[in-house]
Amino acid sequence: MIWRIASFAVAAGFVGLWQLIADLKLISPVFLPGPDRAWTALMRGFATGDLTGKLIGTLEHMAYGWLAASVAGIALGALIGSSRLMRIYIAPSLEFLRPLPVSAIIPVAIAMLGLTQGMALFVIAFGAIWPIMLATIHGFAAVEPRLYEVARALQMSRPAIVFKIALPSALPDILAGMRLSLTVALILSVVCEVLAGLDGLGHWVLLSARAFRSADLFAGVILLGATGYVTSIAMSLAERRLLAWQSTR
Amino acid sequence: MTLLARLDEAKVARRQQPLITFNGATLRLGGKTIIENLDLAVRPGEFLCIVGASGCGKTTALRLAAGLYRPSGGAVTFDGQPMLEPRREVAIVFQDYGKALLPWRTAAGNISLALEACGIPVRERPGRIAELLRKVGLPGHAEKYPAEMSGGMQQRLQIARCLAQEPTTLLMDEPFGALDAMTRQGLQDEVLSLTAASNTTVVFVTHDLDEAIYLGDRVIGLLPHPGRIGIELDVNLSRPRDQLATREHPEFLRLRRQLFDFIKATEH
Ligand SMILES: Nc1ncnc2c1ncn2[C@@H]1O[C@H](COP(=O)(O)OP(=O)(O)OP(=O)(O)O)[C@@H](O)[C@H]1O
Ligand SMILES: [Mg+2]
Repeated sequence: MIWRIASFAVAAGFVGLWQLIADLKLISPVFLPGPDRAWTALMRGFATGDLTGKLIGTLEHMAYGWLAASVAGIALGALIGSSRLMRIYIAPSLEFLRPLPVSAIIPVAIAMLGLTQGMALFVIAFGAIWPIMLATIHGFAAVEPRLYEVARALQMSRPAIVFKIALPSALPDILAGMRLSLTVALILSVVCEVLAGLDGLGHWVLLSARAFRSADLFAGVILLGATGYVTSIAMSLAERRLLAWQSTR
Repeated sequence: MTLLARLDEAKVARRQQPLITFNGATLRLGGKTIIENLDLAVRPGEFLCIVGASGCGKTTALRLAAGLYRPSGGAVTFDGQPMLEPRREVAIVFQDYGKALLPWRTAAGNISLALEACGIPVRERPGRIAELLRKVGLPGHAEKYPAEMSGGMQQRLQIARCLAQEPTTLLMDEPFGALDAMTRQGLQDEVLSLTAASNTTVVFVTHDLDEAIYLGDRVIGLLPHPGRIGIELDVNLSRPRDQLATREHPEFLRLRRQLFDFIKATEH
């Protein structure tokens, strides 16, 4: 509780400092609007619906890319993680692909898919899949072997073993990976919107900057920050619910 | 002779046949012979205890009986058929109960795992779970997670899950090894009464010689490197056993002495 109050105080302090710098015109108002002007722009954007549309656009890019990455990452991770042979053969290739910055993939994706939603989906999913897949591989590889013996003794079917033993056992790792991917998905959504001119906050920020509408630009940036913050809090809540059994340890 | 009578006769004949047999069973793991030429027959309804020095192959022998290992030579059979894979009528109680329970499922959920595997319909499960929890002395703990339970309670829960399989045979590997003396004695008596009531066959591995004699109809002592049978004792003590009277019985003390001498000789 104390910590929460303290963190709010720090945030309020930053906003105050920002206002002070803007009021004193230490930086030209053309580049730096005060929080008051940014807030007004934000409210105006919502009132006219312009900003709402962009927000929804970004949320959609992020959500589709992240969900696609989650489904594919968990499926591939489960496949690789549950077989020692697969781990031996595939892990080196993964280690080669993983450190590739996603920005290196973007030109390839654009060349193949054009400046389209499909390209954005591919790039976001490609970037967001790594944390999820690697966490899932680790989670599946770390399942207590004794539990597999319990499953054998009960003559459980393969799907039952995956869904009742391996997946729940790996869930803490998987959720941690999904949380990391959430941030990656947001960043890549913005990047794709900027590059491909897709409807979203990234595009809004780009246009505002070009037109020297600094208040609008800051409104967009604030909204991006809020999106990252809120989605990460939602993820924490989901984790706490799904992993309730861990809190009793 | 009617068909029915013949079937009955066959049944009687089967009953007198051993339930589990090791016929010259040998197991090699990583180039090492761990069990060699083991011959053993467990009768239906028998309570057989296996003792032996640490590392002599008790767990390995039990895993062979469970179908978790396949013999490299000879055969292990269950009910006349080779035991190549675990089967549901043979339940295994592991020593490390902490690892054998699903930490994300409550006590009820852990028992449910076995019921689900056995194809028990959903609506029958709550009743069965409540009954099993009561049987092992855990009524009212259905919604607890394993992490919220003591070691003794967790082992009780594992036993309940094994009973949920409705096994004809229970294989137990030092199930009470990690528990304190009082909890241990309580659980010994519970296992005796539960298995006697359902006429379950039990193979019980322990390194506690007193426990082996107290529980068993027969005690087998293994010799190490490689594992083979070194001593076999019939325990002619009346049932039900009693923690005080049985342990003070002259026959108990005689067997205990014999077993101690055997173990000492194997340890050098
Ligand atoms: N998977 C394995 N690979 C190679 N050797 C093994 C394996 N499992 C067990 N052993 C060896 O086989 C021997 C018997 O092991 P086992 O676990 O059956 O002994 P135990 O009688 O149960 O001992 P304890 O009383 O300590 O539980 C030991 O020497 C052990 O090192
Ligand atoms: Mg052992």
